[in-house]
Amino acid sequence: MISAQLVRIVTFLYLGSSIIYITYMVFQLEKVAKIASRWTWIAFLLHSAAIIMRWIESYQMGIGHAPLTNMYESLVFYSWCITLLYLLWEKKMPSRLSGALVMPLAFFFIAYAALAPGVSAQIDPLIPALQSNWLHAHVLTCFLSYASFTISCALSILYLIKEGQKKEGQNNHQQNFGLENLETLIYKTIALGFPLLTIGIITGAGWANYAWGSYWSWDPKETWSLITWFIYALFLHARLRREWRGKRLAILSIVGFGAVLFTYFGVNYVLSGLHSYV
Amino acid sequence: MVQEEKSTKIFLQLSEHLSSLKLTISLLLILAVVSIFGTVIPQNASPQEYLQFYKLPTYKILKILGLLDMYHAPWFFFLLGLLSLNLIFCSWKRFKSTWKILTSSIPREESSWQKLSPRGLFLTGSNEEEILMKVKKVLAQFYPPLKIQRAQHMLFLSAEKGKFSRWGVYFIHLSILVILTGALIGFYTGFRGHLNIKEGERADRIFLKNGQEIFFPGFSVHLENFSVSYYPTGVPREFKSVISIFENGQKILTVPILVNQPFSYKGIAFYQASYGIVGLKKVILDIEDLNSGRKFTLPAFLDKENIIPENSWSIRLNRFLPDFQGLGPALQINISDSQGPAENFLLLLNHPDFSAGEKAKKFRVRVKEWTPFYFSGLQVTKDPGVGVVWLGCSLMILGFYLTFFHTHRRLWMKLSAARNGFFLEIVPYSNRDRQNLEKELKELERSLLEEFSIPASGQKVKGEV
Repeated sequence: MISAQLVRIVTFLYLGSSIIYITYMVFQLEKVAKIASRWTWIAFLLHSAAIIMRWIESYQMGIGHAPLTNMYESLVFYSWCITLLYLLWEKKMPSRLSGALVMPLAFFFIAYAALAPGVSAQIDPLIPALQSNWLHAHVLTCFLSYASFTISCALSILYLIKEGQKKEGQNNHQQNFGLENLETLIYKTIALGFPLLTIGIITGAGWANYAWGSYWSWDPKETWSLITWFIYALFLHARLRREWRGKRLAILSIVGFGAVLFTYFGVNYVLSGLHSYV
Repeated sequence: MVQEEKSTKIFLQLSEHLSSLKLTISLLLILAVVSIFGTVIPQNASPQEYLQFYKLPTYKILKILGLLDMYHAPWFFFLLGLLSLNLIFCSWKRFKSTWKILTSSIPREESSWQKLSPRGLFLTGSNEEEILMKVKKVLAQFYPPLKIQRAQHMLFLSAEKGKFSRWGVYFIHLSILVILTGALIGFYTGFRGHLNIKEGERADRIFLKNGQEIFFPGFSVHLENFSVSYYPTGVPREFKSVISIFENGQKILTVPILVNQPFSYKGIAFYQASYGIVGLKKVILDIEDLNSGRKFTLPAFLDKENIIPENSWSIRLNRFLPDFQGLGPALQINISDSQGPAENFLLLLNHPDFSAGEKAKKFRVRVKEWTPFYFSGLQVTKDPGVGVVWLGCSLMILGFYLTFFHTHRRLWMKLSAARNGFFLEIVPYSNRDRQNLEKELKELERSLLEEFSIPASGQKVKGEV
């Protein structure tokens, strides 16, 4: 399959992109940052081509459906969402440093799809439970929210690193300003991710109601998505209190991302439920 | 009187606690943590299943704590109730201050105006009329029309946009209450049951998990047939039950029910949930006479003597086994002829080449084709709260749209005469996103200076947001 081949190429391009961004982080050369951006854009376009190609291939096999229906496809799509949001946001960020944290994550997830032995790249026909138009709205919003939270987690890690550096060095006005900016960005990524997660949960509930006759059945996947929702709701409210600003908020955003990962992977591998396909 | 004061005091304290953000934060944290238990401990399983996992005392403790059906446990309801109260009190407290901001007007007194630390711009020109026109023209690029008030020698101007975004957070909070209300309506007035119905059978009621019997209001459901189709790879493609609705013995309508394609009648919804095989409608067998080498293909039916006239054999399908030792459905048959005793066979229907009749000397039998006799498992629900839940969800999405994708921005301005021109003071305000407001202000000031053809570098800008 051409698409699987493309995914493998994109995996290596993302590895390259991660290395270039990390190089930039270490040497702080603006030139390197520009190369990193361009490289990532090219990789991203190929990544999009891979997804479209897989879509076409499924139609050629006579079982046409959007490539959003199993672990492999969801990982490839998740990684795509991360890169998409990162590239769209890169210009608005104070520096491209966060690329050194975001792109390794995008690389990790697509590499997991391409290389992990348990994840099959085969295109399967749609089982009855997935034959629904709810699928697209549900998967799209969920993964965009996951990607948004991924970036906010990367920014939070960057925040903690910078905060640590600040303590070593002197209390510098510019550094403080950078941290404040970073905190605003963490908030903004969550302010996008949270409504998207909400819509993801609502479309999931709508679909469950349509397919199984119950919009909410406390299935582990549902419950974990709600736990994630609680944590980010906590983040948004904690932000209103002064003592929660800064480091604690960054840690909370990282914890939230932990819940995202558990909702996505943990539930499938550790717990059982209706959502066994992805 | 003292008593009354005391109770007022208690009420005030209580409402203080209920409206505190600390309570919100604690409740969200508690809800997140306790919800984890419900995903780790299997919910609503049977005692036997639990006893496979847990020792008896552990099981008893979990049961007492309500952790085996925790999302319906009283303490979980209590937490949600507390969250609702917190939402109401917080929103009310917040709304009061929001309302103040929304309805506040520009302070006219110099001292209170200066407290707002306005930033100033000097505009050249002698004619107030002309200056006001220019200011209006520039502001129109950024804001809806200005409100203008005159006081003594000064003009007070105010511009505002995105006011409605202020409502977003209240919509979100209200939507949670609406969703919980919908859930409660469903919980108390709805039901959810499972109906196993055989092909050709009719049902007019279901039994719930707790044994309660619920009749369909004035109709019954008849399963015409059930079918499964497969992809070439053997993966199921479609499960389909064709059902008819009967009222007073009359067939009203016939519809298919598929996964992802439910059917609803008189407020009761039917969903394709499961299926199973209870028997066999027909089987087509290949039979070889080992003596003569002659082969026959013939259909056979359960509980009926199937006679092949020319040979005077008779085939009897004795018993259908839904699952034979994990190998799938099986069929016991025997064949007899006029001369000798019957020969018995066990046929595995999903493995047609297997036949446990090795001692047989006279015949060899193979399953060519078979039609199962199915039952269909339908999920049957009634939930009058669903509409309310969807209303809440829509309200929530609207709330998010207002809250996160719009901001409330307001400019208060004062225009006063100065030597050789006019002085424009600006007090910006935004509930969120001050950085972007600052950007917009810089842009606005630049446009103003351009309009008055004053080089930007020659201006001193006083104050920052």
